[in-house]
Amino acid sequence: MELHLSGQMLLLGIGEYHLDIFNQMLIFAILALSLNLLIGFGGQVSVAHSALAAAGGYGAGYLSAEYGVPYIPAALAGVGFAVLLGTAVSIPALRLSSDYVILLTLSLSTVFVTLLVSLPYFGGSYGLLGIEGVSVFGNEIIRPSEFVRILLPVLVVVFLFTWRLGQSPFGRLIKGIREDEIATRSLGKNIFMYKVALFAITSGIAGLGGVCLVYYSQLASPTQFSFDAVTTMIAMVIIGGMGNLWGSLLGAALVIVSRPFLEKQVNADPEQAFLLQLVIYGTALVAVMRLRPAGIIPEGASIKSGLIRLNRFVTRSGGPAAQTAAEAADAGLAALMARHAARPPSRPGASGEDISQVESAVEVTGLVKHFGGIRAVDGLDFRLAAGRITGLVGPNGAGKTTVFNLITGAIRPDAGVVRLNGVNITNMSPHGVARRGMVRSFQDVRTLPRLTVLQNVMLAVPGQPGENLGSLFFRFRHTARVEKEARDKAMETLRFVGMEGKLAFPAGALSYGEQKLVALARMLATGADVLLLDEPASGIDQSWLDPVLDVILQLREMGKTICIVEHNLHVVERLADWVYFMEAGSVTAQGTMKDLISQPRLAEVYFGNA
Amino acid sequence: MDWTLFQQLFVNGIITGSRYGALGVGFGLILGVTGRFHFAYSISYVVTAYAAIIAADHGVPLLPALVVGLAAGAVLAMLIEGFVYRPLQSSAPTMALLAIFISSLGLVIVGQNLIRLEWGSRSKLLDTGFTVEGLSIGESTFTSLDVVMVCVLWAVILGVWALIRFTQPGKMISAVRVNPEMARVVGIDSGRVYLAVFAIGSTVAGVVALLSAMKYAALPDMGGQPTFLAFVVAFLAGVGAGPLRAGLTGLVVGMAESLSGLWLSSQWSPVVVFSLLFLYVAVKPLSLGVTLPTIARRLRTAGAR
Repeated sequence: MELHLSGQMLLLGIGEYHLDIFNQMLIFAILALSLNLLIGFGGQVSVAHSALAAAGGYGAGYLSAEYGVPYIPAALAGVGFAVLLGTAVSIPALRLSSDYVILLTLSLSTVFVTLLVSLPYFGGSYGLLGIEGVSVFGNEIIRPSEFVRILLPVLVVVFLFTWRLGQSPFGRLIKGIREDEIATRSLGKNIFMYKVALFAITSGIAGLGGVCLVYYSQLASPTQFSFDAVTTMIAMVIIGGMGNLWGSLLGAALVIVSRPFLEKQVNADPEQAFLLQLVIYGTALVAVMRLRPAGIIPEGASIKSGLIRLNRFVTRSGGPAAQTAAEAADAGLAALMARHAARPPSRPGASGEDISQVESAVEVTGLVKHFGGIRAVDGLDFRLAAGRITGLVGPNGAGKTTVFNLITGAIRPDAGVVRLNGVNITNMSPHGVARRGMVRSFQDVRTLPRLTVLQNVMLAVPGQPGENLGSLFFRFRHTARVEKEARDKAMETLRFVGMEGKLAFPAGALSYGEQKLVALARMLATGADVLLLDEPASGIDQSWLDPVLDVILQLREMGKTICIVEHNLHVVERLADWVYFMEAGSVTAQGTMKDLISQPRLAEVYFGNA
Repeated sequence: MDWTLFQQLFVNGIITGSRYGALGVGFGLILGVTGRFHFAYSISYVVTAYAAIIAADHGVPLLPALVVGLAAGAVLAMLIEGFVYRPLQSSAPTMALLAIFISSLGLVIVGQNLIRLEWGSRSKLLDTGFTVEGLSIGESTFTSLDVVMVCVLWAVILGVWALIRFTQPGKMISAVRVNPEMARVVGIDSGRVYLAVFAIGSTVAGVVALLSAMKYAALPDMGGQPTFLAFVVAFLAGVGAGPLRAGLTGLVVGMAESLSGLWLSSQWSPVVVFSLLFLYVAVKPLSLGVTLPTIARRLRTAGAR
């Protein structure tokens, strides 16, 4: 195909000069794709991409020039070196917030390029010369028209690789991390491992880009990998569109083509054109961030959605998407209301059973957590009866949300033991606790706003081989089959909460009540048996309240163990079989809601002195 | 150990460390109060040096020229805060860190290359206004400019400390840094405080830039290395640390870098700074950091504003 293409270009009168520009475009497209995977999909801002490309390029170039290593092993070694360097630097930074990723990658690129110049081994600011040429079947590749036959297939392979990653469950997961690390972690995903994996992969592709650049120019020089170079790559990704791989191809093309264009049109000399080009895309970076942060081709944009938008623009109708959203919402609510009417929720505790006879799903003993001098949780004992709804109530600041954080491993307790189905889970990681079958919701829902409703829920399905790179690239059919199962499971839970009409909407576009239902569906999709709900009824519209509560009651009928933290005591009364009353970090009373309300002291503590 | 070399490296360490300290104080103030990842710190730095040199070239006497330079750097930083960062923060609070950092990168590229286009890539020297003499203590040598530099830099660091500690505007800055919500409740306009912080931070950087333009020369890309060091010092001192702590941290970093010359050849000195940072980041999760939640809270509240 590439033969045909380059032949065609020659026919069209495109000479070596243009092919040289085309080749640079191909190389920078490789670098931009890799950076987009990291920034656009993974949400990690790295300024080390030029340093990583330099690691690859200089690594291969040094082996070739110093030791005469043939280009294929040298290239592989270069890529390997980039992966090692990228991984080593990212591991400490990725445990912290994204500020530290910027800081450490910035330092790496500053220091690495300084070293390349100052150390005596790499030709100083002139660069490394004497790199062996590339030859295929004994023919040395020299001219741009020959290089295009190698570079184009390399870019195609890199594109397919990044495309597969981006569209896979792995891509969904790293986008989840981008949107909300804590929420993604709470669904049983080891986010640190995925961040490191992503960093390693993108480092390797950056290294490959560097190798291509060095072999193409037969030179490894510090200017190729300067700070301007990394800014160029970032500009390609941002201008093209973060999270959209086509955008990076377009971005690379635009940025690279702009220089010869400036040389020709503005009659600037090459040096001036280069500076002018930097000024232009620096301005473009600022402008795009401000006016169109999604870039030219936004994430999730496809030809189809583009046509729809074009159509809307032409017909100037008042936004069909918005209309369908409202219609779908009404339909979802109507379906839930109908179900609610058909099957009024059973009364909790109506059987008058003795809850102490029910076995425990979760047992917490002597839990303690101090923050500085504040005793947030102070010797807490409670248990969640299996298959029942337990309420946790108390005045503001009693430590209820902290309890959820402690028992799910988000915060380490100072003392105390948490057992889940008899197993000590006290110091387990949050994703470990989730995998063992206890998941939580958040007061502020924490859906993943830029992922669709379906993606939000599919992300939560456990045991997806597509999140594993080995299966993703070597077990295509198995991966596809399980992915379909995950989709079915996600659809099923979405149907259960009545959100099946909104599969393709970004979760951030939904109303608060709808988001609560999506978050609930997400918890269900994990398959966990113990559900911790943090204020499931707060902040939602009155019309959504009954459906939400109904769903929770149905979950109990399905045998789930549920714990709710809730301020609305009517909600607790309707739902909870047993209620713990918390004050200042410990349980001061327990019983059914009716019992507790009848104690005047508790009412006074809860509502304040009247 | 080579005693002569040690003396010289120790003196060099004080000189470079004072520079690093002042850079860290300026950037640390901006990061600590506003939470903005202000990479364009570098462009204020360059503009200060160039503005002073151009003013001097046009016959403005030295002292007013220096003031022109400092004012240009500070005004530029305030414009960036007001017209670039603030709108980004309010339009997309959830991705503000990324948006601000990337815009900041864009500004640096634009600024640096506009200067190259207009004044070329060659270096420009700023006049010192006095004859620079060689001095020595024991076996170590340095210049009178170095003495002036260290004194001025520490005067600036102490000045910022006193400003924050004792003056009314300084107390407002502390209030916004420690508790932005409470500051708003008591009627402090955090937008104006942010502008003030950008102006003060950039002025501090500007002083370093002027001294560097006197000692070495001004170049369009002279801001890169100092900005990197400012980031490192500010993070090592701890986000939200006061000027004295940031200044001393800078001194320690500069001293460590310089004294590493006892064992390593000077080309490895950037690695020393990088290693310090790397170690710090590696052990950071072990200590219960109070710094990051502070930034997160600041970003959230700034977004809500």
